[in-house]
Amino acid sequence: MIALDIERLTSGYGEAMVLRDLSLRVAAGEVLAVLGKNGMGKSTLLKTVMGFLPARGGRISLFETSATGRPPHLLASRGVAYSPQDQAIFQDLTVEENLRLGLPRGTAFAAGLDLVAGFFPFLAKRRRQRAGTLSGGEQKMLIIGRALLARPRLMLIDEITEGLQPSVILRLAEVLRAERQRGGTAILLVEQNVRFALSLADRYAVLARGEIVDEGPVGGGSAEARIAEHLSV
Amino acid sequence: MAILGVIALALVAVAPLLIDEYSVNILVRSFLYGCIAVTVDILWGFTGILTFGQAAFFGIGAYALGLAVTTYDFSAPVVIGAFIAGPLAAAAVAAIVAWLAFAPKVSPLYISVVTLVQSVIFVQVIYSGGNFTGSSSGLSGFDTFDVPMEGWFRIAGVALVVVTALGWRFVRSDFGRLLVAIRENEQRCRYCGIGTARVKTMLLAASAVVAAMAGFAYAAYNDVIAPDLGNFEFGTELVIWVALGGRGTLLGPAIAAVLIDFISAYLSGTLPFIWQLIVGLVFIVVIVLMPQGLGPALANLFGRLIPAGRRAIAAVPELLQLPDPDVGGGADGTAIAIAGLGRRYGSLHVLEDIAFEARAGELVSLVGPNGAGKTTLIRCISDGMERSAGSVAIGGTQIGRMAPEACVRLGLGRKFQAPNVFDALTVAESLRIARARQERLSFWRRADVVRLPAASLRVVRATGLADQLGATVKHLSHGAKQALELAMVLAMEPRVLLLDEPTAGLTKAERSLIGGVLVDLVREHGLCILLVEHDLEFVREISSRIIVLHQGRILLDGSVAEVTNSELVRTVYSGEPHAEAA
Repeated sequence: MIALDIERLTSGYGEAMVLRDLSLRVAAGEVLAVLGKNGMGKSTLLKTVMGFLPARGGRISLFETSATGRPPHLLASRGVAYSPQDQAIFQDLTVEENLRLGLPRGTAFAAGLDLVAGFFPFLAKRRRQRAGTLSGGEQKMLIIGRALLARPRLMLIDEITEGLQPSVILRLAEVLRAERQRGGTAILLVEQNVRFALSLADRYAVLARGEIVDEGPVGGGSAEARIAEHLSV
Repeated sequence: MAILGVIALALVAVAPLLIDEYSVNILVRSFLYGCIAVTVDILWGFTGILTFGQAAFFGIGAYALGLAVTTYDFSAPVVIGAFIAGPLAAAAVAAIVAWLAFAPKVSPLYISVVTLVQSVIFVQVIYSGGNFTGSSSGLSGFDTFDVPMEGWFRIAGVALVVVTALGWRFVRSDFGRLLVAIRENEQRCRYCGIGTARVKTMLLAASAVVAAMAGFAYAAYNDVIAPDLGNFEFGTELVIWVALGGRGTLLGPAIAAVLIDFISAYLSGTLPFIWQLIVGLVFIVVIVLMPQGLGPALANLFGRLIPAGRRAIAAVPELLQLPDPDVGGGADGTAIAIAGLGRRYGSLHVLEDIAFEARAGELVSLVGPNGAGKTTLIRCISDGMERSAGSVAIGGTQIGRMAPEACVRLGLGRKFQAPNVFDALTVAESLRIARARQERLSFWRRADVVRLPAASLRVVRATGLADQLGATVKHLSHGAKQALELAMVLAMEPRVLLLDEPTAGLTKAERSLIGGVLVDLVREHGLCILLVEHDLEFVREISSRIIVLHQGRILLDGSVAEVTNSELVRTVYSGEPHAEAA
């Protein structure tokens, strides 16, 4: 099954077109890493898929049903989890309250908390703390914890490693790998940390000026060199 | 725009000959209301100060004349005295209101509450003044200027055109952009060394003066003044007019105020109570359908009629490099001295017993696990109100309880963890605001160059920001915002630089470039840099010293080799495979 199918997508802000005729596919259980320099449209791609930006042209399908023009909350209920780049938590709610918001309807919180605590133990220990007082890196972990709580079928992750300590990045890669093994979660990963992205991804795509300029499988060893070349120009 | 002003003046000159006396009579008042609406728009639409108190200042100006003339007589010294005393009193009240509402850590909502109360107090003072103020019936029939109605029409009309034109020029000046910057991100302004409370106080006082002068003219023309001139209903109406006309457009509120007041005067006779209901309904419809107001909606409509190529494009300023400052001798003082520093949130100790010194010419990296207190420490060094214990000195001066802008004046620059920029401004405007402390922002014009020190310019050029000077910051990518904030901080020419993950979200190539800039600043210009960073490779390349923070305490403070080879650091922090095996 195809988790995400994008055909000739065009999107942008105001008069500026950021994505041009972009097409890509993510199969169920597959991890696609989207890499590229700043301002090339990586975040715009995720925002458009999630319905926060209207598509100016093209089609988006999720799990083989059309998702073009659907609002974010309907996509979320179809099993898409989005973790944006900015610190998208509710600052004035506690850690627990933030997590509860990620809980699918009819699921017990205790089980969910166990799940998240298995990923990031500190979240269970500090569930009464106001989320805004967590450090920047801890907030990132809360975002991913909340996303995973919903047991999503597709995750859209925007630069999650930014501001995380190295050991947490390793832990995060493990968590995402395990989650994918367990539930066949597909992931569209936007990253600046090439090593992390390639440690997780099956395929990569390099975005430049709103178009995919290179793509291929990660295995084989040539990917890293080719990506480095694209990023350095 | 100048043409529009001339047309408006011509209209003001001939209109009394063309329209009936009743309309002329009403329009004098409408024009004066328009003047106050302009000040409300500058305060609320541009600077984000939602005020309900402009009516009270109008009332103060009106009563200054009424009281002076009824108490004394209608003579030149008394009238001139009232013309000076009214606006002065208004400015003094504005200063008190500002002192209450713009204190540090007070919610921005507070100014609305205080100005609302201010209007209530104004009315109560007038009520309790007995015969002196005329209480609830006000003052009327006092001697006033012998000017015909057409004369008043022209005075009020010219006043409205002049106030709008001055305001128009002002909000488009460099200083006007600072007002928007304050609305967008007051914290960043303060960390650019700008005393925002002072700016807002001055602005409120200036607006109070304009409103009081309009009130003076109103009293002189109308010869009847009542407490409801300054009540909060009128203050609220002004806000509604501004919202309907389109806040942040200046022309919209001015026109809306004149039209609504004028139509109200006509219709309130024929439809006395229904009319209020109609205005209320229109307000709701506009807010729902056109949240930006009628002005921008109409402008959009006309904008579509003009082909895109013919629309005026704002000139993009030119970048210039400042000569290198002469800082030979500054390379060996103590730049940061911290002793016994602690920070508690309730019972939670985030930082305990932090003590270290950093010298000029040193690049100290601060590393540690997430939640170790790194950002809290940066905050405690840059804002005197943040720490719970201990002392911080920058360049030999104790910061005590100094506000961030005062710390910045000691030579401090701070880059935040998440990009902290001005979304509504362009790249060039943001850089100019960062330079505001060194180069005064003009109240009148837009500078056509942006002068930056070499280090800042290097970041701007190398990260591609130089090609996006005219771009609105909101539309920049995350990484470009990071680069912009760094360039802004460097533009302030700090001596002590606090950088919280300056390269997060940047590519490897951009990282090494910024690393190079930082090393140059330290080696050649003798800056002291305190850097929070997770990328140990990057830290290793550029640092002269590393401090490891763990659970709010300093775990290790030593050379790069000492720290990176420490087994302890590997276990708590980097989690490299061989450390886990150990």
